[in-house]
Amino acid sequence: MRRDRYLAVWAALLLLLCSCGADAAPSARRSVALITKSTDSEFFLSVFAGARAAATEYNLELTISGPETEEDYETQNKMIAQAVEDGAEVIVFSAIDYQRNAPAIDAAAQAGVRIVSIDSGVGSGQVSTYIGTDNYAAGRMAAQAALERVEGPLYVGIVNYSEGTANGQERVRGAAEALAESGRARIAAEVSTLVDAPRAQTDTVGLLLAHPEINVLMAFNEPTSVGAAQAVRTLDRSDKIFLAGFDSNVVTIDGLQDGCVDALIVQNPYAMGYLGVESAYKLLAGQGSGLEPVVDTSTQIVDRENLFTIDGQKALFAFDQYQSWAK
Amino acid sequence: MISRKGLRTTTILVAMVVGVVSIILCCCIVLFLNRYRSAMVDNARTGSAQAVSQVSNTVGNYLRDMEQAMELVEQSMSESPDSRDELLSTFLKCRPDVVAVTSYSAAGELLDCWSPGREPKEDIFQNLSFDLERARLAPSPYMTAPHVVTIFESWYPWVVTMTESLTPVPGGDNAAAWVSLDLSFSNISGYINNVSIGQRGYCFLMDGAGNIVYHPQQQLLYSGLKSEDTGALAALEDGSYADDTVIYSLTGVADSGWRVVGVSYVDELVNRSVREMIRLSLWLAVLVLAAALLTSWLLSQLLGRPLRDLSSAMESFEADADHFAYRPVEGTREVQELSGSFGHMVLRIQQLMSTVRQEEVNLRKTELKALQAQINPHFLYNTLDSIAWMCEQGRNADAVKMIHALARLFRISISKGHELIPIAKEIEHAENYLEIQKYRYKNQFTYSFDVDPGCLDYYCNKITLQPIIENAIMHGLDLMVEEGRIDVRVCREGEDILFCVRDNGVGMSPEQARAILDEDAQDRTGIGIKNVNDRLRIYFGKQYGLRITSELDVGTQVEIRMPKIKEAGEHEAR
Repeated sequence: MRRDRYLAVWAALLLLLCSCGADAAPSARRSVALITKSTDSEFFLSVFAGARAAATEYNLELTISGPETEEDYETQNKMIAQAVEDGAEVIVFSAIDYQRNAPAIDAAAQAGVRIVSIDSGVGSGQVSTYIGTDNYAAGRMAAQAALERVEGPLYVGIVNYSEGTANGQERVRGAAEALAESGRARIAAEVSTLVDAPRAQTDTVGLLLAHPEINVLMAFNEPTSVGAAQAVRTLDRSDKIFLAGFDSNVVTIDGLQDGCVDALIVQNPYAMGYLGVESAYKLLAGQGSGLEPVVDTSTQIVDRENLFTIDGQKALFAFDQYQSWAK
Repeated sequence: MISRKGLRTTTILVAMVVGVVSIILCCCIVLFLNRYRSAMVDNARTGSAQAVSQVSNTVGNYLRDMEQAMELVEQSMSESPDSRDELLSTFLKCRPDVVAVTSYSAAGELLDCWSPGREPKEDIFQNLSFDLERARLAPSPYMTAPHVVTIFESWYPWVVTMTESLTPVPGGDNAAAWVSLDLSFSNISGYINNVSIGQRGYCFLMDGAGNIVYHPQQQLLYSGLKSEDTGALAALEDGSYADDTVIYSLTGVADSGWRVVGVSYVDELVNRSVREMIRLSLWLAVLVLAAALLTSWLLSQLLGRPLRDLSSAMESFEADADHFAYRPVEGTREVQELSGSFGHMVLRIQQLMSTVRQEEVNLRKTELKALQAQINPHFLYNTLDSIAWMCEQGRNADAVKMIHALARLFRISISKGHELIPIAKEIEHAENYLEIQKYRYKNQFTYSFDVDPGCLDYYCNKITLQPIIENAIMHGLDLMVEEGRIDVRVCREGEDILFCVRDNGVGMSPEQARAILDEDAQDRTGIGIKNVNDRLRIYFGKQYGLRITSELDVGTQVEIRMPKIKEAGEHEAR
């Protein structure tokens, strides 16, 4: 009887100690795959830099892949399947095609992989969180920039890109609506091109030649903006055409200084990469319930006025060494 | 069993020792952990300050190095353009962290630029590397905050710029008034990225105004994902500052406005080891408590067990003093002494008890003998008188019968001096007595015996029935007019033998019946009955003896209870 009581006391003490002493066992590095639309635009290089920074900070095994062109959703789908096969636990994904990437993402989710969507959304219900720009608002912002800086009637030329991509469509829609609301702007022409600077340049030159009335040109991502800027420069229409582009590229930044580009809507690709991988870590660490369904990374308008302010520099120029300037 | 109140010695002792030990332990642990924590915090602050001052020295060396480089560049400015170009291109080759060397006129115009493999744009939109206002006001040389180089086409590296004013060379064609070095962060990042204070701690470099010059996670800061409260830090003096979560260490870099800030985390530097220490001290506390528990338990066993043993020995001694055999209790010397004393006492009490009982038995024996000595002559006289009368009447056969009865009576009375005789003998004795008395009382009464044959072999005290029967005749039947009757019944009842003598005489009141057994009787028969009762109780115990039930004018019944005794020897010895 008494012995039993002592035993109970001992057991209680031991239990207390064990609960104090339980340390979390160090786990092996978890694997996260980052699949983007391409691997060579400055935008995605910055995404990679952010992703690598987060992977280092959270001790994750990060693999990065992306197709060569921003239209190749099939290769992207193969990469998704490959990532699942390689044992990735989370896929951080920027979709080329909102619709046609969805089945592959659903299949990956079926296999138990968690999905974080960045930059460009995908039409799947399995996405844990979307991190990126509010593309509709960014589109409006581009239109607003043109409306504020150009007087008189606006004849807008739109350089559009791959039609399946969610972020491009949203931006065009935002811009078109803002232009329509103004009452003095009209979309003169629209050209659909590939996400490839030389091709975009050719198409834009064609557009501008076909529609000489165009005084506002809008391009909605980095390579098309580069192409549009080069088109304006080749046609020597820097003074006549107000070009609003997207994202930071040395060509467009040079263009801002020499006048062929007039405003850039700069997204925060580093934050997308960083927060995307950070969210992947949170999903793996069981903190997934704390994730917001949509995280809006900031966007900023940069024009000739604020180009070299400290905030402008911070937004435009990547600090990290990953960035390859020599292009 | 007596129900006890109060706590046992063991419990009290264990509780007290464990209580005192745990209070002391708690105090010690709390005190120790407090001291340990503050020592750890101091330690962390010192460590952080050391790391930061090391970085500060390295950065200071780098800046001095750069100033020397700057002197070299200044000297080159006084050379001829050709040798200047050659000197500077060699210099740039040796110092890959120098992105560009630029010189400016007194009006702030870009005169010349040396950068490996690059030429400045013709049309520079804005040159962030040089600011005429600042150059005029600032002491020479001065450093700018980080910015990008904006004089090249499609190349915008982040740099800090060091600008020095030139002493105009008299008579030279040199119109350059300022020269600037654009320094990339490749060297500084090498110094600062490798610094770790604890696991997550880091250093960063800021200027006097709180602008971050270099931060290991600069891009995170630029992307708005992280922020440092540099405004508040800039206001602080050099030194270490610890709050609940973070330790900041600030050290100025010699001969520059820059300051190195070390950020380390209390949690990993202090709390982790404090937690480890808490765990350790908890283990220790448990060990000490266990030891205390064990010691106090053993101690209390040492003291308490003998006490308990003694008390249980006393209890069993109380319950049955006769058959108690004392076994000494083991323990410390005091306990042994106590135990020894108790053993002596037990022996002494048992001796006294047996002496007292022996004396009692002897007293009763003496009484019995006196009784017999008293009754015999009287009884004998009456009986012999009756026999003589029978002889006179010529009833020889009756006389012979009487004489035989008398002889048997006496033989059984004597029984070779034994106290216990078989029940058969006792019955015979009673029969003989009744027969004699029946003659004497001229058949005034009748009697019967109803004896369970199974009882006959058991033993009983001799002359047990006779005093009862005598009393029945003398007090019950003598005074009666009609014929009296005496029934003697002997039977077994459980483990006992029951003798029952019933008459239909005058009877007595309950007071009288009780008085016969309790008080000292005056007459002889009364003494006889009390003697029987006393003897039975001495021999067999209090639960045995006589029980008298009587009713006036109906009769009296006397029950005699004694245990079944198989052999005379076992009780005779007493």
